[in-house]
Amino acid sequence: MRIGVCLTLLVLPTGCVSHTEPTELFQLTAETPKHRAMQTRFFETPNEKELLSAAAAVLQDLGFQVEESVREVGFLRATKERSAREYGQYIQQALLLILSLGKLLTPVDLHQKIAAGLITRPLNQEATRQEVRIVFYRVVWKGDGQTNNQYIPPGQQYMEMIWDPEIYQQFFAKLSKAVFLEAHTI
Amino acid sequence: MTDKRYVWAGILLAGSLLLYGCSTPETPKDLLAPTDTQLKIRSMQTRAFELTDRNTAMRGVIASLQDLGFIIERANEPLGLVTAARFAEPNYYDVVSVTVTVRQDTKDKLAVRVNAIYNSKPIDDPKVYQNFFASLERSLFLTKK
Repeated sequence: MRIGVCLTLLVLPTGCVSHTEPTELFQLTAETPKHRAMQTRFFETPNEKELLSAAAAVLQDLGFQVEESVREVGFLRATKERSAREYGQYIQQALLLILSLGKLLTPVDLHQKIAAGLITRPLNQEATRQEVRIVFYRVVWKGDGQTNNQYIPPGQQYMEMIWDPEIYQQFFAKLSKAVFLEAHTI
Repeated sequence: MTDKRYVWAGILLAGSLLLYGCSTPETPKDLLAPTDTQLKIRSMQTRAFELTDRNTAMRGVIASLQDLGFIIERANEPLGLVTAARFAEPNYYDVVSVTVTVRQDTKDKLAVRVNAIYNSKPIDDPKVYQNFFASLERSLFLTKK
């Protein structure tokens, strides 16, 4: 009985995912300025091209493959694929398996693709100041699992934006070293 | 005797196939003709801005898409094309993708057109496009300064 209650409590939060209306997705939120500040730095340089190529080099240093680049609008897109296995998830999977008496085998994260989208853009008319904005996100593929007698096939996919400020700080620290310029926060 | 039977069977089969072929409905003549809804959708997806520099306008479009949390997937400067997508957080199974085109409308005006798709279904809610253009206006105004 208690195990059943525990299980339903564990399952409930995942079941109640609300749908976001498209209108809400085209509106700026209270979080927007915070995210922009975290993802953006500006550099006192007139050379946008050099900044863009330095950014590509930094992404390469971080193990990314550049997939798309458009110099005219200062755009770069790069990805890297890595394993997404975590010990914590395996422990949770084992605990749930024991709790559910061998009926519930939750899929764990197996593989991930980390992607970065980067945009440079002149901030003033004379183009002596350039802004760099980068967005990191990841796509994760899960392994297989089982609930009761139903098999969950592998390959289930989910995506998440990366909001860890440290990752952005690290990137900009590397970039400012690469162009010998100070990265100013907005 | 058997040979003749085969011939008749062949004729019958061919005949039935022919009849079947005749029963396909005729293609309507107005299949590709523009409809009122199409025009309405186009007008709500398009807005003209008093700008002459297309590159600046494109950068403004990209900046406002980034502000809205979109991930830029592709850009083509000569064609004035930007493609972006985002997940309907907190639900990662719904995807919104947009294609924006920026092109010269008149001598001193640029037309920006945005097509938005929600889970492979076109969005025809005018509110969505109004919201997008409101954020684009802000971003273009910031770039102009």
